[in-house]
Amino acid sequence: MISHSRASRQIIDPASVKVIGIGGAGGNLLERIALDGMDAAGLLLLHADARVLASCVTPEKIHLGKSLLKGLGAGGDPELGEKAALEVEADLRRAIKGQQVIFVCVGLGGGTGSGAAPVAARIAREEGAFVVVFATMPFAFEGKRRREQAEVAIRELSALSDALITFDNNRMGELVLAKQGAHDAFAATDRIVCESIRSIIRMVTRQGLIHLGLDEMMRALGDGRSHCLFGCGTAAGKDRSSAVLRQALASPLLDQGALLKKADTVLVHLCGGEDLTLLEIELLMQSLQKFVPLDANLLFGAAVDPAMGSSLTLTLISSLPEGSIEVASRESSESATAFEPAPIVSREPEIAPTFEPEPAPAPMPVQPASPMEDDLFVARHVEPEPLMEPARLESLDTAPEEYHHEQEQEVDVAPKPAAPARPWKKSADSQAGEQQKVKLSVKASGAQSELSLDSVPRGRFEGENPNVFEGEDLDLPPFLRKKK
Amino acid sequence: MARRSKIHVGIEIGTSKTCLVVGEVKPDSAIKILGIGETKSAGVRKGEIFDYAQTRACLRDALAKAEDAADVEIGSVYLAVTGAHIQGVNHRGTYRLPDGEPVVGPEHVEEARTIAREVQIPADHVYIHPIIRNYWLDGLEHSTSPVGLFGKTVEADFHVVHGIGTRIQNSIKLVREMPLEVDDIVFSPIATAQMALNRDQRERGALVIDIGGGTTDYALYIGGVITASGCIPVGGDHVTNDIHLVTNLPFSKAEQLKVTEGDASGDPARSVGTARLHDDRGFAEVEVSRAVLNETIRQRLEETLRLVLRQLPDGAVEAIGAGVFLTGGTSLMRGFDELAYQVFGRDIYRPESPEISGIQASFRDPRYATAIGLIRYALIVEAERVSPPGFFGRIARMFWPLGN
Repeated sequence: MISHSRASRQIIDPASVKVIGIGGAGGNLLERIALDGMDAAGLLLLHADARVLASCVTPEKIHLGKSLLKGLGAGGDPELGEKAALEVEADLRRAIKGQQVIFVCVGLGGGTGSGAAPVAARIAREEGAFVVVFATMPFAFEGKRRREQAEVAIRELSALSDALITFDNNRMGELVLAKQGAHDAFAATDRIVCESIRSIIRMVTRQGLIHLGLDEMMRALGDGRSHCLFGCGTAAGKDRSSAVLRQALASPLLDQGALLKKADTVLVHLCGGEDLTLLEIELLMQSLQKFVPLDANLLFGAAVDPAMGSSLTLTLISSLPEGSIEVASRESSESATAFEPAPIVSREPEIAPTFEPEPAPAPMPVQPASPMEDDLFVARHVEPEPLMEPARLESLDTAPEEYHHEQEQEVDVAPKPAAPARPWKKSADSQAGEQQKVKLSVKASGAQSELSLDSVPRGRFEGENPNVFEGEDLDLPPFLRKKK
Repeated sequence: MARRSKIHVGIEIGTSKTCLVVGEVKPDSAIKILGIGETKSAGVRKGEIFDYAQTRACLRDALAKAEDAADVEIGSVYLAVTGAHIQGVNHRGTYRLPDGEPVVGPEHVEEARTIAREVQIPADHVYIHPIIRNYWLDGLEHSTSPVGLFGKTVEADFHVVHGIGTRIQNSIKLVREMPLEVDDIVFSPIATAQMALNRDQRERGALVIDIGGGTTDYALYIGGVITASGCIPVGGDHVTNDIHLVTNLPFSKAEQLKVTEGDASGDPARSVGTARLHDDRGFAEVEVSRAVLNETIRQRLEETLRLVLRQLPDGAVEAIGAGVFLTGGTSLMRGFDELAYQVFGRDIYRPESPEISGIQASFRDPRYATAIGLIRYALIVEAERVSPPGFFGRIARMFWPLGN
């Protein structure tokens, strides 16, 4: 590798990061990432179903098993999925070549995902990339068979990838209200996984005031099989430092921060706009101290990115040794059918016995840092679906600041049943703080349309959660509401 | 069946007041109110407790007053609960008799009941009441258990009320800390309906709307059985808050203005000129245009009633024969009955408590309807509990718990 004055800081060129989505769930994730606008990272979809490939918005696509499956899916059979992936191994290798970091997003349990993900991970490793796998485990209601297929795939992936973060859909279900449909539950999972990928990319591609790289991330994720703790939040406006922490801790993988109590290494990464102040960092770290043990190894990183505008993002990554989570998690007893109550991380770069043509490329390839090109990911926008009435969009356009503020409130109430559970949406949009992003985030938010009223005084009910009943905030006088 | 008179106590921890009613149930089922302990609530908002320390103090105060007034020591109580998280759903359980068993047996009915009670509720919710509405035998309605009849399919129709478990537990915990035993918890509108409606009115179809300080609870009875119940988190507090927000008057003045001057009828003749509050020396301290004041109140209450209307099942309003019964402190608002008539188009009543001996006048107040209703609920539940098993037990069960 070239030696460069900045080489030691391990900045990774955003252009050499690629996100690979495999199968149906992976495709959904990619769609979300594409819609939210991902920093320069490339997106690649692997799917066996020709119809899905045709309709997906990602720029790069590889059709798995064109001759084997004839344009149909793998039908829930991982063996078919694997064969289909092997069929296009050359294409895959070409697409991955030269990438430094590969994120593999996959929903395990089905045929394409469970079968092709290990193949893709192996090829990526062989091509010298650092492989991070984000896998979602199937819901309990999807049945035992899918759960077993997912477990098999997880075991393979844990040997093949550098880092494996699994999200158990059963826990993700907590993000949505009980009466919301399964569709919302899946969408919530997509949002959180997308948010995780985004925050890790942000962390490794931004040069920081205090830099954190993949090595620190590995450290925080622990070395054996362990439960991954992950949380991230984005907020803008005043009080943003406490709001991001609240959001990050509200992640279902953190259980309101209770699980951090036992962690011995916690990675904290903060990224803000140019107005990020030392005081904010101090305040945030002080309040975070309450959630981590005193002797914990805090890997702290901070970065300034002008594109963040007035918003602030916080990423928390940690891990617990396997088995320690049962006592900590209040959900574990309920989900008897669940395979693991929380995600597992494993990192076994040494163990890759079947395919070891070259030494495992654990050390990070380094490259001179390229300046952040913000317009790159702005350009990647897709037209927002016009689910909101135009009038509402206008009002948001004029007050993006307020909108962000309301979003934070939303997040606070997300676990309670009264509020629409759409917390994972915003950080992406608020990231750049531009109008277009705000519009994007509004798409499909439905129940949030009332929130623009939130800034009016509420008298006795000031500071309470909005008393939303059938889409109207009942705490506001109808006399004032109806006049509008 | 002869019974001794028995003392029951009902507690309602409302948004505006906490009240305990001590009632003596005579052998002839008449209720005599021995005493009421009432105190202004603090720490309750929209029917749910948010400051336990304050609410505990209020409850203790009300308990002391009630014990003084009634001259009894209170050991156990019936507790009314409310809050927007509580909802009622109807559910029917169907059980097909096994082949070779043409006659409906008690176990078949029990099976149908079990199935009916298994409503899908969110994980954090608990059942408050499973209330039997009626039975169906091969598509034919039976108001009593069809045990002993020939049939193929038994169905049990239940109205299941459920709410968030932890919030209900916290209310119970508060009462236990007094220390008082909680005999049963009752969803407020169901207790209110015990007081507000008689059997005839339930048969003809009636809607009870209890507009209190923080919540509006409703229960709909059609054909003698409960058909819908629920709670909307809006009440008199909101009216005061609206006046405060619209006119910028302080809360105390807004409240006073609401009580002394407000009118919800929407009658333009009553919205002329200004409403004034006078201070000690007779000077006008506060002046608000009646048009604004009345419109603020009317819009809030009209919206609330329309929300109730929307929650009711389709065609329910047409089935209301007896009328709409308004109770709760906010129903004392002038012109409220006219407003309710505009919304529902049915006869409107502000019910008075029947069959109460004692210092009646003060208990005819709709503000006590829920607490007194609890006593009547207790009476019905008690009747079921002391009934001998067998035939009489089944008859009693048919009335259980609400005498439908």
